[in-house]
Amino acid sequence: MRATRLIIGLIAVALIENVEVHQRSLLANEAKALFAKHCFGCHEGQTAEGQLDLAKLLDQSEFDATQVFENVATGKMPPANADQPPAEEQQKMLAWLADQQPKSKPNVYRRISRHEFVHSVNDLLGTKLDLTGQIPEDRGTRTFDSDRRIQLSREMLGSYFAVADVLLEHALPDDGFVDERTWVTNKLKDSHETYNIYVRDFKEGVLFSWTRANNGNSYSFFYDNFDPPVAGWYELTFDAAKVGEFAEDVSIQVHAGKYYYADDRPQPQRLLDVISVGNHQLEPKTIRVFLRPGENVSVHCYCRHNFRNRNPQQGAYIRQMKARGPLQDQWPPSRYAMLFGELPVEMKGHRTREHGTVTKLNNAESIAPSSGYQSNLQKIGGSLFVSSFQQGMEKAKMQDGSNRTFWHTRFEPTLAKPPHYVILENPYRHAIKGLFYATWSGGNGNGQIEKYEVYSSDDGKHWGEPIVSGDLETRLANEQPIPFPTATNSRFIKFLVTQSFSLDGRSLASIGKLDVMVSVDELLPRTTVSIKSKHSENLKHVIRRFAERAFSSNLTDAELEPYFDVATRALQRDGNFVQAAKVGFKAVICSHRFLIAPGEHTTELLAQKATLARILWLSVPDDKLRESRTPLRAQIAWMIEDQRSDRMFESLCNQWLNLRSWNNVSPSLKLYPQYDDLLDHYLPLETRAYLAHLIRENEPVSSLIDSDYSFLNQRLAQHYGVEHITGQHLRKVSFSPDVPRGGLLTMGSVLKVTTDGVDTSPILRGAWISKNIMGTPVSPPPESVKAIEPEHGTDAATLREQIEQHKSNDACYACHKSIDPYGFALESFDSTGQWRDRYRVATPHRGTFQFRLSGYYRLTSDVDASGEIHEQTFSDIFGLKKLLLTDNLKIAYNFAKIFFEYVNGHEPDLKQRMALLAMIAPNDCRMKDLVTDVLVYSLSGDVK
Amino acid sequence: MSGTTRREFLKFGAALPLAMHSLSLRAATKPKSFPRRIMFICNSLGFYKPYFFPKTRGDLSTSQYLRDLTTKDKLTVFENLYHPGMETSNHDSEKSFLTGAPRPEAPNFVNSISLDQMLAQEMGGETRFQFLPLSIYNRGWGCSWNNRGVAIPPLHDETLVFNKLFGDEDLTAKRRQIENDQHVIECLKHDMRKLEYGVASEGADASRIESYRTVVTELEKQLEHEAFWLNAKKPDLPNTLSKDPEYAFSAKIKNMLELSKLAFQTDSTRVITFSMDWIYGAIKVPGATGGWHTLSHHGEKQDKLGPLSRIEMDIIKHLNQFLTELDAIKEGDGTLLDHTTVVIGSNFGDASNHTCNNLPTIVAGGSYRHQAHTVLEKPMRLCNLWLELLHKHNVDVGAFGSSDRETRLLST
Repeated sequence: MRATRLIIGLIAVALIENVEVHQRSLLANEAKALFAKHCFGCHEGQTAEGQLDLAKLLDQSEFDATQVFENVATGKMPPANADQPPAEEQQKMLAWLADQQPKSKPNVYRRISRHEFVHSVNDLLGTKLDLTGQIPEDRGTRTFDSDRRIQLSREMLGSYFAVADVLLEHALPDDGFVDERTWVTNKLKDSHETYNIYVRDFKEGVLFSWTRANNGNSYSFFYDNFDPPVAGWYELTFDAAKVGEFAEDVSIQVHAGKYYYADDRPQPQRLLDVISVGNHQLEPKTIRVFLRPGENVSVHCYCRHNFRNRNPQQGAYIRQMKARGPLQDQWPPSRYAMLFGELPVEMKGHRTREHGTVTKLNNAESIAPSSGYQSNLQKIGGSLFVSSFQQGMEKAKMQDGSNRTFWHTRFEPTLAKPPHYVILENPYRHAIKGLFYATWSGGNGNGQIEKYEVYSSDDGKHWGEPIVSGDLETRLANEQPIPFPTATNSRFIKFLVTQSFSLDGRSLASIGKLDVMVSVDELLPRTTVSIKSKHSENLKHVIRRFAERAFSSNLTDAELEPYFDVATRALQRDGNFVQAAKVGFKAVICSHRFLIAPGEHTTELLAQKATLARILWLSVPDDKLRESRTPLRAQIAWMIEDQRSDRMFESLCNQWLNLRSWNNVSPSLKLYPQYDDLLDHYLPLETRAYLAHLIRENEPVSSLIDSDYSFLNQRLAQHYGVEHITGQHLRKVSFSPDVPRGGLLTMGSVLKVTTDGVDTSPILRGAWISKNIMGTPVSPPPESVKAIEPEHGTDAATLREQIEQHKSNDACYACHKSIDPYGFALESFDSTGQWRDRYRVATPHRGTFQFRLSGYYRLTSDVDASGEIHEQTFSDIFGLKKLLLTDNLKIAYNFAKIFFEYVNGHEPDLKQRMALLAMIAPNDCRMKDLVTDVLVYSLSGDVK
Repeated sequence: MSGTTRREFLKFGAALPLAMHSLSLRAATKPKSFPRRIMFICNSLGFYKPYFFPKTRGDLSTSQYLRDLTTKDKLTVFENLYHPGMETSNHDSEKSFLTGAPRPEAPNFVNSISLDQMLAQEMGGETRFQFLPLSIYNRGWGCSWNNRGVAIPPLHDETLVFNKLFGDEDLTAKRRQIENDQHVIECLKHDMRKLEYGVASEGADASRIESYRTVVTELEKQLEHEAFWLNAKKPDLPNTLSKDPEYAFSAKIKNMLELSKLAFQTDSTRVITFSMDWIYGAIKVPGATGGWHTLSHHGEKQDKLGPLSRIEMDIIKHLNQFLTELDAIKEGDGTLLDHTTVVIGSNFGDASNHTCNNLPTIVAGGSYRHQAHTVLEKPMRLCNLWLELLHKHNVDVGAFGSSDRETRLLST
C-alpha cells in the first residue's frame, strides 16, 4: 500500500517537474527582459553603476542574487528618479531571482538553547529556578540562540547534566524540604558606620531619610536576624509608609547579598525587586523573591525629592520586614501530584502547617525581639569560656551576630596577662569543620588578632599539638574562615591568641565574632516526602507520563524501555521510588529527543504544537495545549496571550535588539551622575513591555519606529522629562507631539546599549538601526581602509568632520551613506538616552573619584542632529522618524525576516522572502498579524 | 606525587600505594624527566605594530613594548606571519586564530579543530584536566574549537577556575554523582542503539542524532577521566587571586596568568589557551581609561595611540611577569619556562584596519634555541608555525589548517 502510494507520488512529482522546467525557462526569459528594460540602463558593461554589471551577472547559470533581490523588493532599485516597474513586473523579476537562487541547505536539526532547556525543565517539574547562568552561552557570534548552525558540545551536555541535577534536587529533595518559617525583624545592620546619617530610628522602625541610589552595591542596610536556610522562594513583607509631603513615591530597592561591614570590596548584590511607597499610612508590601543560603536581604531607598537631601523627617519609614519561606505552593507541593499522579504520598518530619494556608498579613503583629539571632554554636547547644573579659565587653558579644560589639580581654582595673584564649564547648559532639572569625570593627584596632593556634581536646585539659594555626587580617571587617584540615567532634576547642595588635604595647585581645563552622543544614527541621511504592509498574507509569510530556509524543513501551530500565535498576539498587524516578527524569531531559529539535512526535499536530511551544514559550506544550483542538491561528493567538510568551518577548529584546549586552556597558558617573541602579533596572523592562504590547495588541508595524506612547514609571518618566507619573509600576503613558519618545529608536535601553558608556557613536547607533530596523546588512570595512572611530574629544564639531571623512572616500561612502545619518539624528541623546542640546566633556577630579550630583563635566558645543539619507534631508530625530515612516514596507519586511530567522533558526531564502513579502499588507501591516502569518508559514508552509 | 610520573600513576591507578615503593627506589637512580606544557595567549585586538616589532632587526631593546622583557634570551619574536583567507574577517578572525580556517565571517562558516585541542589529545590524558580554556570575558567562545568545529566555552571567572583546580570537593558526593551520570549515559546509549536498529518510532531519523552521539561518547570518556582522578587529591594551595576594583581588567589578566602558572606548576594540566578580548565598555589601566575596542581603531592618531599603548603595555607587563615567574620556578636543571612553550599572538595584525597580515607573534620558553627576533623574508602562513609546534609535541600530522610546508622556525 505504502509502496504504491510512493510510486504514484514519484510519477506526479516527475510530471510536475516537467511542467516546471518549461515554465521556468519562460519565466527566465521574461524576467531577463524586464531586468534589461528597468536596470541595464545603468547596470551594464564596464562603466556599470556601483560596479554591478547585471547583464553579465544574470547570464551566469548560478549566482547569488540576494542583494539584487533585496534592492528590487524594497524598492531601493530602480532609484526613485527612474521609471518604476509595475507590481506585476516586479513580482516576475523577484520570482525568477528566487527561482534560480542556489539552494541553501540549512541543518534540519538544532540543539535546544540553554534558555529553552531551563524553561522546559522548570515547567515539567513545576519549579521556577533561573539557572541559565550556570550553562555557558553557546551562541557565538550568531544573532539568535535558535540558529541551526550552533551545535551541541560535550561541555554543553555536561552542563545540562549538572543543571538537571540541581533542578531535580530542588524539585524533589532527597533530604526533604526545609520547613517553612517566619522571621520578623526591624533591626538593621549597616555596611558602614558613617552611613548612619542615611537612616534614623523612627517610631517602631527605621526612617530612610537621606536617599541615594548610585552604586547601590557599595553600601547598604541589611536586615539582621534573617538568614535564608536553603535556596528557595521567600515572601518578604515590608510594613512601610511614606513620610513627608511631596509628590513622588519613595522606592525601596530590595537586594540580596552577603552582609559585609566596612569592606571596600563588597560582593555585588542582586536587585530582587522594587517596592513603591506612596501611602502615608503603614501598609504591608509583599514581594516574592528567590534567595540562597549565605545571602542577606538589604534595602535601599530612593526618591529624587530626597536625593542627598538631609531632611530627617522625610523619606520611607519601614516598620519591619517579615520573611516567610521557603515557600511551597501547597503541602505536599503540587508537583507530586503532577509527577506521581495518584500514588500515595508519605510525609515524615516536623511539618505542622496545614494544607495550603497562607499567613494573614497583620499590621498589629508584634515586633520580634531584636535578640532573635542565634549563632551556630548556640544552635548546636554549645557554649564559650574566655581567659578574661572587660566589663561591657563580655564573651556573649562574640555571639550576637554583630562585629560592632565585641569581647575584649580585661584591661581595667588590671591588665589580664597572656595567654588570651577562647574555649568553645561542643557538648553534643557535632562535626565542627572550622571557625569563623571577624575583627571588632569601628574601633582603633587594639587587640585585633594577628596570629592564632587552635587546639582540640576531649577533657578540656590535655590539648596536644595545634590542629591549625595561622595569620588573620587585621584591617578586614569580613568574616575570615579558619577551616580545620579535618572536621573534629572533640568536646572542647581552644582558640589561642599568639600575637595581637596593640597601639601601646600592652598585651590585649579582642574579637568581634567567633563562631563554629558546622553544617547548620543538618540541624534544620525538614519534612521528607516519599512515594509509598516499590512497584516497577508504578515507576514505569510515572516515567511514561513524564517522558510523554517532555517529548510531546505518545510513546510505546519499546521506545520507553531504556528509560524504564535505568529507573527500575535504580529502584532495585536503592529501593527509593522518588530517587529512582529522578534518574529516569534526568535521562529523559538529557536525551536526544529532548535536546535535539524538532523531536520525534506521534502526529504532525503534536510536532506542530511542540514547535509552537518552543518558539512562543521556550518550553514544551502543557496538557492543555497537547489536548487542544483549536485551529492553528486561534491557537497561536491564545498562546501569545499566555504569560509564558513573555519569555519570547524577552528573547527578542535580548537577541534581536541586542539588550543581552546590557550589562557590558555602564555609563560614566562623571558624565551621567543621574544614572542609577533603578534606571538600569527599568530601562530594558520598558522595551520588553512595549514590544509585548505591540504584538499582543496587534499594533501597526510602524510603531516600531514611532508612536505616541510608551510604558513608563516614575523613574523612567523622570529620565525622559515626562511629568506627573507617580509610582514604579510600568503603565502606558501617552506623549504630547513635542516628546521625541515612542518607538524603539529613542528608547533609553537602545540608546544606552549602542554606546561604550562614555561617548555616543553615530556609527554604532547607525549600524544598529541599519541592521535591526531597516534590514540593511552592514559589512565590515574593506581591507586597506584606515578605520576611524570618531570621538567627541574636547570639541564635538570635530566629530562630524571625522565622520564626514567617509564622504571623501568612495569605498567608505558606499556603505556609510546609509549608516551614519541615522546615528546623527540620535546625537540628540546621550549615552543614557537622555535628551541633550550640548555635548558634555569630562573634567578631571582630584584624587580618587567621589560621587557628586553635579558630575565632573562641562558643556561644550551644540548638538547637530541633522543629516541626509537617500537624498532626503532631516534636521533632527522628528524629521528622521518621519522619513523612516514613509518606508513602511521596508520596516515590515525587515521585521518579518527577523522573526522568520528567530523562528526557524536560519535566514529566509529568496523563495521564503517572496512569501514574507506577500504577507505584508501595504498600508496597514500589524504586528500580531505578521507574527501569526510568519508562524503559520513556518509551521505549515501556508501563506495567507 | 613527586618522583612518579602521571603515566606511571595512570598505569597503577588504585594500586598506586603498593607501586610507590618500587617507583621511589627507581626514582633515586633515574634522572627525573619533566612534562612539556604549552600555552596559547591570544590578544584579540593585536598590538600596535610600530611599538611592538623591534626597529632594529634582532634587537629587542629597540621595541618600545618588548625592551623591558626580562626573559629576552628565552623567546623569539616572529615578524611576517599571516593567516590567509581573512580579507574581510572583522572580529571573527579570532575564531580562526588557532585553527587557520579561512573566511570565518562567511554565513556558512564551520570552524575546524584548533591547535590546542590537537595537542590536548596527545598531551592531555595524564593530567586532571586535559586542557584549560580561559578568557577574560564572558561570551561563550574563545580560541578552542573541538574536532567538529564547535566552540569550547572558556572559563572567565577566576574564582571558579581556582576552585576547579584546587578547591575542595565532597568526594563521596562527587563519586555518587559520577555513577549516577554513568547510569544516565548508559540509558542514552541504549536509546540510541534502539534508534539505530530501527525499533524506534516511525519517522525516527538516525541522522538527527549524529552529533549527539559523538557528544555523549565524549561525555562518557570525560566521566571516566573524572572518576579516575577522584583517587588523587587535588593540590592544596592558598587562594592568592588579586581583587582590584579599580583596575579590574588588569586584575583579571593577572589572575588568569597566575592560575595558568599554578596549573602548570602543579601539573594539573599541560595545555592552556587564554583569549583576551573585551569589546564592550571602557576599561581602566594605569594612565588611561577608554574603550579598548574604540581605541584600537586609532587611525594612527596620537591622541588614540597614547591611551591604547598604555593598555597594551599593561598587558605586556603582565605577560612579562608571567614568563619571569615561570622562569623562576626550578624544575631539574632547568625552569618551568624551559618545559613550557608559551605562544603569545593575535588574530589581528592591525586591529585598526581589521587586517590579518603580519600577526604579532612571540614564542617563549620550551628550550628552543631562541633567536630574539626572526624576520621572515616572505610572508609565511602562521599555520606553518602551528604545524611545527605539533611536530615538536609529537603530534604526527602532515598538515594543519592552511599550512603549506614544513618549517624549522624553532630549532632545538
